[in-house]
Amino acid sequence: MTDKTVLTQARPNPARTVLQKPWLWAYLAATLTFAATSMIAGSDAGSLFYAALTFASFSAIVGIGQMLVITLGPGNIDLSIPATMTLAATLALKFMDTQTALILPGLLVAIGVGIGCGLVNFILILLLRIPPIIATLSASFLYQSLAIWSNRGLRIKPPESLAEFATGGALGIPNVALAGIILATGAWVLLERSIAGRWISAIGQNLRAARLSGVPVNAVRFGIYVNSAVCAALTGFLLASFSGGANLNMGTEYMLMSIAVVVIGGSSIGGGNSNVPGIWGAALFMFLIVSMLNSYGLGAGIRLILTGLVIVGVVTLASRKGYDA
Amino acid sequence: MTLKAIMLGAATGIITLTAAVAEADTSDKRIALSNNYAGNSWRQAMLESWQKNGDAAVAEGVVAAADAFTTSENQATEQAAQIQNMILQGYDAIVINAASPTAINGAVKAACDAGITVVSFDGIVQEPCAWRIAVDFQQMGREQVKYLAERYPDGGNLLEIRGLAGVFVDDEISAGIHDEVKNSNFEIVGSVHGDWAQDVAQKAVAGILPSLPEIVGVVTQGGDGYGAAQAIGATDRSMPTIVMGNRQDELQWWADEQASNGYETTSLSIAPGVSTLAFWVAQQILDGNDVPKDLTVPFLKVTQDDLVEALKTTPKGSVANVEYTQDQAKDVIATAK
Repeated sequence: MTDKTVLTQARPNPARTVLQKPWLWAYLAATLTFAATSMIAGSDAGSLFYAALTFASFSAIVGIGQMLVITLGPGNIDLSIPATMTLAATLALKFMDTQTALILPGLLVAIGVGIGCGLVNFILILLLRIPPIIATLSASFLYQSLAIWSNRGLRIKPPESLAEFATGGALGIPNVALAGIILATGAWVLLERSIAGRWISAIGQNLRAARLSGVPVNAVRFGIYVNSAVCAALTGFLLASFSGGANLNMGTEYMLMSIAVVVIGGSSIGGGNSNVPGIWGAALFMFLIVSMLNSYGLGAGIRLILTGLVIVGVVTLASRKGYDA
Repeated sequence: MTLKAIMLGAATGIITLTAAVAEADTSDKRIALSNNYAGNSWRQAMLESWQKNGDAAVAEGVVAAADAFTTSENQATEQAAQIQNMILQGYDAIVINAASPTAINGAVKAACDAGITVVSFDGIVQEPCAWRIAVDFQQMGREQVKYLAERYPDGGNLLEIRGLAGVFVDDEISAGIHDEVKNSNFEIVGSVHGDWAQDVAQKAVAGILPSLPEIVGVVTQGGDGYGAAQAIGATDRSMPTIVMGNRQDELQWWADEQASNGYETTSLSIAPGVSTLAFWVAQQILDGNDVPKDLTVPFLKVTQDDLVEALKTTPKGSVANVEYTQDQAKDVIATAK
């Protein structure tokens, strides 16, 4: 079954419909890297899959927030994700102070921090009319400094039972992955089945047209930026509980990761068209490619080059649909 | 303080009078710290040590000021601009933890030309006019393998956790490890980048673990041992000997394992208080003492015997630390001569 024969066939063909899904390539890439790593891992492939699910969930949750922001159209991006993660995790863990009774209030603290950060981002963007890329980047200095100031880099452990939950699993699926799948499902329903989802895509496709047709543009943008910050805060909370404490540099790799999973997942970089299933495929792939290259003993240089090439390849394949049409 | 200094001056064979005069010489001197990064617990402890020690020195009248400045973005250009500002502000000495060994050489040269004493430490600069308090990173790698070789004379498989790819420190520690492994029966069967962060190390180790054979030891670079332990603990593998990097959570984990199953390992790193060593070296240079341009920082080791003591003195969530005194700085200078 080659591409060409499929493409020349008539329209209502299920194979063609699937091939046109932009998220397909992320899953294909993830499957290939998994297969390649399994050749070395052998019987341990199951635990590799389990680890991939675990670590992909952190990227997936921040990715969902970032995806909705990017959907809003050119220039929309949230660069404050790492700092929001760090601040939310630091304040929540400090608040809980290893006490099991305070887990739920601690979660609320993290979400509250997320809402606060999203609010600040939005105020900078809308009221002060600062471009999002500058607004979120400069706000992240503020959040990072607050995190440093609040706890001076000391690492506070999560409550025992919270750590057990974050590292544990049910039905062979890690708990954090369950959280990530629930959030992704919620995002999919929001985007594909609700009027708000139409609004988000409409703004991304043409802001002016959306405004003229009565879409509450600012309310939607407000919701999206707050949502992104809350997703980041939640990830920070989960990651800190999972890895045994909040670090000042814990969010660093999620800046590029959040954007990479959106792009590899097949969402349009220009906005207006997003894609929830692709986020999970891309998040799995981003973990598995590092595992694969590490398992084959390739150095960091080759790893980075290959990662870059694969991103370019997947993005090219996923965006071909736009040129065909 | 003064009396102690006079005694010391006499002991080292300098005329008492000169020593007393020289001691007074730095009381109007101002020292600044130019720091490139503050975003982890080690750096936070480093800044805290600097401030504690500097405030005490100012209160005692040893120097007039000991101010710390940190750049926000860990960029060489930003740090160069910061050093230019310090030159304009008229500091007598600038102590630097540099973002790059070469990229701020121009600013360092400008400071030297303005008659300012420049002392770099940890992240050192190559500009010859500056003093360098360097860490022997290769040795840090070798010591780890030597310890493991004592524990496992027959050798075995090792997992290596590296730092941040492309950084000089990462290359050096790794070179030391690989060099020493050649003299042993060990084989490094896997190598991942943990970026000196527990969560990144945990992720990287969890990813490579399914592809690895049985491992007896894990060599690390600091800030990654606990993450490795978490990742390995999540599987049903037996726990290998993980060399730790003096972080409190690592030491705590080690003590807990020790209590439950007699787990033994070792831990070594550079104490964040090395900033105070740099401070006293700068003060000694301003004082007119002859100080060699290249000094070496001693490692801070935590062994099985002093684990309990180290845990007691290390604040929760921080890094094991020692602060250097003026006399200890003099010792370091004397051994380098």
